[in-house]
Amino acid sequence: MSTARAGGRWIQADLRARKGQAALTVLAVAGIVAALITAVTLLEDGTNPWRSLFAQTEGAHVWFYTRDNTAQVAGTGDLDGVTRVAGPYRSAPVTVVQDGKKEPAALRAMPASPPQVAHPVVAEGSWLDTAQADGVVVERSFARALRLRLGEPLAITALSGKRHTLYVRGIADSAEQGFYPEWTPGLAWVLPQTLDRIEPMLGRSEWVTGLRLADPDATQVVSQRVVVMLDDQLQRLYTWREIRAAMELDNRLLGTLLALFGMVGLVAAALALANAAGGRVLGQLRDLATLKSMGFTGGQVALLLLVEHGALGLLGVALGTLAGWGVTVAVLGATSIAPMPVLSIVAGTALLVLAAVGLPAWRGGRTPPIPAAPALPPRGHLSRLARLALLVRLPPALVLGTRDAFTRRVPAFLTAFGLAVPMMMITIGLGVWATLDNFADHPEQVGQHASLHVGPGKLDPAEAERLVRADQDVQAVYPGADVNALAPGEGRSVRVRAIGGSADPYPFPVVEGRKYGEPGEAVAGQGLLDLLGVKIGDRVRLTVGGSPLIVRIVGRAVEPDQDGEVLSVGLDSLAPKDSVPPEFYALALRPGADRGEVAARLLAQSEEGLDVQAVVNPADRLAIIRVVIVAMIAVLALIGLANLLTASALGLRDHALDLAVLKAMGLTPRQVMATLVTGTGLLVVLGVAVGAVAGVSVVTGLIDLQGHTSGVGAGIGRPPSAMTLAIAVLVAVGTALAVALIPARRAARAQVPVTSR
Amino acid sequence: MTNAVLKTVNLVKVYSGGAVPVHAVRGVDLVVEPGEFIAVMGPSGSGKSTLVHMLGGLDARTSGEIWVDGARADTLSESAWALLRRKKIGFVFQFFNLVANMTVADNVELPALLAGASPRIARERREHLLGALNLTDRADASPAQLSGGEQQRVALARALANKPSVLLADEPTGNLDSRNTRDVLRLLGQVHKEGQTIIMVTHDARVAGLADRVVCLLDGEIVDDGRITRRRTGTAGAVIDLR
Repeated sequence: MSTARAGGRWIQADLRARKGQAALTVLAVAGIVAALITAVTLLEDGTNPWRSLFAQTEGAHVWFYTRDNTAQVAGTGDLDGVTRVAGPYRSAPVTVVQDGKKEPAALRAMPASPPQVAHPVVAEGSWLDTAQADGVVVERSFARALRLRLGEPLAITALSGKRHTLYVRGIADSAEQGFYPEWTPGLAWVLPQTLDRIEPMLGRSEWVTGLRLADPDATQVVSQRVVVMLDDQLQRLYTWREIRAAMELDNRLLGTLLALFGMVGLVAAALALANAAGGRVLGQLRDLATLKSMGFTGGQVALLLLVEHGALGLLGVALGTLAGWGVTVAVLGATSIAPMPVLSIVAGTALLVLAAVGLPAWRGGRTPPIPAAPALPPRGHLSRLARLALLVRLPPALVLGTRDAFTRRVPAFLTAFGLAVPMMMITIGLGVWATLDNFADHPEQVGQHASLHVGPGKLDPAEAERLVRADQDVQAVYPGADVNALAPGEGRSVRVRAIGGSADPYPFPVVEGRKYGEPGEAVAGQGLLDLLGVKIGDRVRLTVGGSPLIVRIVGRAVEPDQDGEVLSVGLDSLAPKDSVPPEFYALALRPGADRGEVAARLLAQSEEGLDVQAVVNPADRLAIIRVVIVAMIAVLALIGLANLLTASALGLRDHALDLAVLKAMGLTPRQVMATLVTGTGLLVVLGVAVGAVAGVSVVTGLIDLQGHTSGVGAGIGRPPSAMTLAIAVLVAVGTALAVALIPARRAARAQVPVTSR
Repeated sequence: MTNAVLKTVNLVKVYSGGAVPVHAVRGVDLVVEPGEFIAVMGPSGSGKSTLVHMLGGLDARTSGEIWVDGARADTLSESAWALLRRKKIGFVFQFFNLVANMTVADNVELPALLAGASPRIARERREHLLGALNLTDRADASPAQLSGGEQQRVALARALANKPSVLLADEPTGNLDSRNTRDVLRLLGQVHKEGQTIIMVTHDARVAGLADRVVCLLDGEIVDDGRITRRRTGTAGAVIDLR
C-alpha cells in the first residue's frame, strides 16, 4: 500500500513530464486495437447479415428452380434430411422501371398468410393482403437500391412488354438470395392471383422451391440428390453457402485488409512500446537508482515501470476497444459484435503490451542502486560507416552524427526497424490504392472492357444491335448472354458468361494460359477453378438448362464478379436456345467517350426501349478501402513518430554531456544541431528506405494473394508509382527530420550543464 | 558497544569486474555510536564512497560483517536492504539526485509515503522539513529550477523525512560553492545537534572539521580514527571562516 502510494506519485510525475509521448503511445495502440476489432468483427460470421436473416426467416438451406411444378418437385420434400419445404412458388422475370432506370426483378407469388419456412420478415409496412390485389412487398436491399418507400407505385414491365403498376405495401428481409445489386434479379413478392394477371403465360415463369434441412452440413448431399432426381427439369440450384458468401463478399476483403494491417501494426506498436519504455528506462537510470537508494526494492521498481508503461498500453487497448466497438456498431449495428474474438483480441493485445514493456521494466528493476555511478556510458568507437564518412571528408558534424547513430546497437536497430515496419505497411497501403486506381483507370484489366451492357428490352434484338452498332462512340459490340449452369458434383449453379464469338473473343484480361479461340474453349476465374478443383487444360462438363456444355478451360482471366466463380465462353459455344437472340450487347466505347452520354443517347434513340446498364467497377464498390488506407497511414505515422521521439530523446540524453565537449572543441550551435539530427536522421533514412523497399517487394504479391483467395485471381496487384513512393519517402524522412530538429535545436542552444550524470 | 547504530567487522570490497581485481576496501572495522557525526576522509580512490555505499547496502560487500541497529545486515538480500533503508538509512549524494520529474514537495514526501505514512502525515512532515530548511516557497518548483544549494537542501530534507537511524552523506558539498556549502553544513550541524547520527564522506578538511570524529582512509584501510574534542560552537566558527 505504502509503495503503491509512493509509486503512484512517481508515475504521475513521470507521465506529466512526457505527456506528448504518452499520448502518442496510447493513440497508436488504440488505433491498432480498433483496427483489429473492426477486422475481426468484419471477418466473423456475426457481421454477416445472413446468419440473423436466416434465423429470423427460418430460411431454407437449398433453393432450386424448375420449369414446371411437377410431382417430382414435391417429392424432394421426402428426401432424407429435409424437414420442411418452402414452395414451390411461381416466379416470373419482370423489369422494374424506376426513375428512368430499368432493373431486373423476379416477381414471386406468395400467399397472403406467410409460409412457416423461408417466410420473408416484414421490416416496414405489412405483408400481402387479398384486400389489396395490386400490393407488392419488396426485398429490402432491392427497395433501397430503387429508393422505394411504402405506398409508392412500382412500375413493372412483364416479358410480354405490358406495363403494370403495383403499390409498395411492405418492405421485407429475406435469406433467400443475396443483396441487390450484387445478386440479381431483385426480389419482390405478390399474391399468386396478381402474378397470374401480370404474367398469364406459365411458360415464361419458373417454380422456386426451398428445402429446410435438419443438418446444414447435409446440404451437399441433399442438393446432389435433388440434381439427380430432377435431372432435366432443374434450371439452377444454390445453397445457403452461396447466399452467405454473397452477403459477406465486401466485408471479407475489408476485414482481411484490416486484419493484415492490424497484425503488422500490432508488431510495430509493440516494438514502439518496447522502444519507448526501454528508451525511457535508459533515460531514467539515475532516477531509478535514486528510488532504490530511498528504499524501493528492485522488484518494486520493475513493477512501477511495468505499471506505468503497461498502463499506457492498456489505456490504448481500452480506448481502441471502445473505438472499434463504436465503429462496428455505427457501421454494422449492435448485434454484429462477436464477444469471444473481441475478448481474445483485448486479452491478446494486453498481454503483448505487457510483454513488450516487461523486458525494459525488468532491466530497469536491475539498475544498481548507486545513483552516482555513471549510467551505462555508450561505448562507441568510430563505426565503419563513420570512418567512411571521415574518409570522404564529410563535415565534422556529420561524421560525429554518423558515429552517434550506431553507438547503441539495440536501440538503433529498434528505431530503424520500428520505422521500417510502418513504412512497409504504408507502402503496401499505397499499393492497394494504386491497384484501386488501376481498376478505375483501366477497367479492361479487370474484365470490364465493355462499360455498358445493353439489353434489347422492348426492341427487336436485330434492331437493338443495329442501334448500338450505329452509335458513333461505340468501338466494339459483343453480343452476350449470362446463363446459370449446374456444376457436376457441386450441387450448385455457377455463372456462365457467353460473350463475343469464339473466333473474335471478348478481350478478357487473361493472366494465365490463353484466350479461347474456338467453340468449346473457355476461360475461367480463379474462383471457378478453385470451386471445381480444375486447372487450365482440364475439360469441364456443365449443364445449362438441361443441355450439356462441355468446354476445355484454356486460360484464367481476372474476374471481379461472383467471387470469380464465372466461366466465360464464346456465344457460339452455347446451345442456340440459350444464345439466340443474345441476351445483351456489351459495348466497348471509344477512348474518352462518356458512357453516361452514350447511355442517354441510346435510350433517346430507342425511345426508352433499350435496357441500358452501366457496369459497376470494383473500385467503386471498394471505395471504403481508401478510407481505411488513410486511417491506417495515420495510425502508422503515429507509431513511427513514437519511435522517433524515443530515438531522439535517447540520442539527446546520450550526448547531453558531449555537447559541452563539442562546443569546447569549437563546434557552432548549428554544427551541434547537425550532429544530433544526423544521429537520428541516419536511422530514419535507413528505416524508411528498408521499409519502402520491403513494401514494394511484397505489395504486388500480397494483393495477388488476396485476389487469389477472394476468387478474383492473381494479376491485379500494382505497386505504388515511383512518384507516389518517392513523395511518401520524402515526406516520411522530412517529417522525421523536422521532429528530430526541434529538440536538437533546443539542446544546441541550451546552456550546457557541466554536472556529471 | 552493543548499542552501536552501525558496526562493521573486517569489511572488504573487491571489484573483480576488470582484468585486475581492485581492492577498494580492505578490512575496515568501524563502530558508530548513536548521535555521532563522523567524517570519512581520504584522497580520491581511497574507498570512502565504496565504504558508505556498503554501509547503506547500495553496494554488496565482498566479505566482513555489517550490523545496523544491532542486527546483522550484510547477509540481507537486495530487497531486504531496500526495506531497511526506508526506515533506518537516509542518503545524501554529491549530485543531489532529486527525481527530476517530481516537484520539491513530492521529492520530500516520497520516502515518507514509501515508509507507510499516510499522505496527510507525509505532507505535514514535508511542510515541517521544508519550513526548517527555508524552502517552503519552493515546494512546487521542479528540481531543475533550483540552485545547487537549494537542491542539496531538498535532498537533505528527503533523506531526513523518515528520521533515519543514520544519515549517510557522500560528498554532500562536493558540488557546491562556498556559500551553499556553508548553508548545507549548517543544516547538517543542526540536525546533528538534534541527535542525528551522521556519516559524511568528504575530502575537504575544513568540511570534516565540523564532525566529532574523523576517519581517514587510504587505499581502503583506516589509517587514522580520531575524535575532535572541540566545542560545537567552535566548529560553527570554523565553518564561518569558509566565507
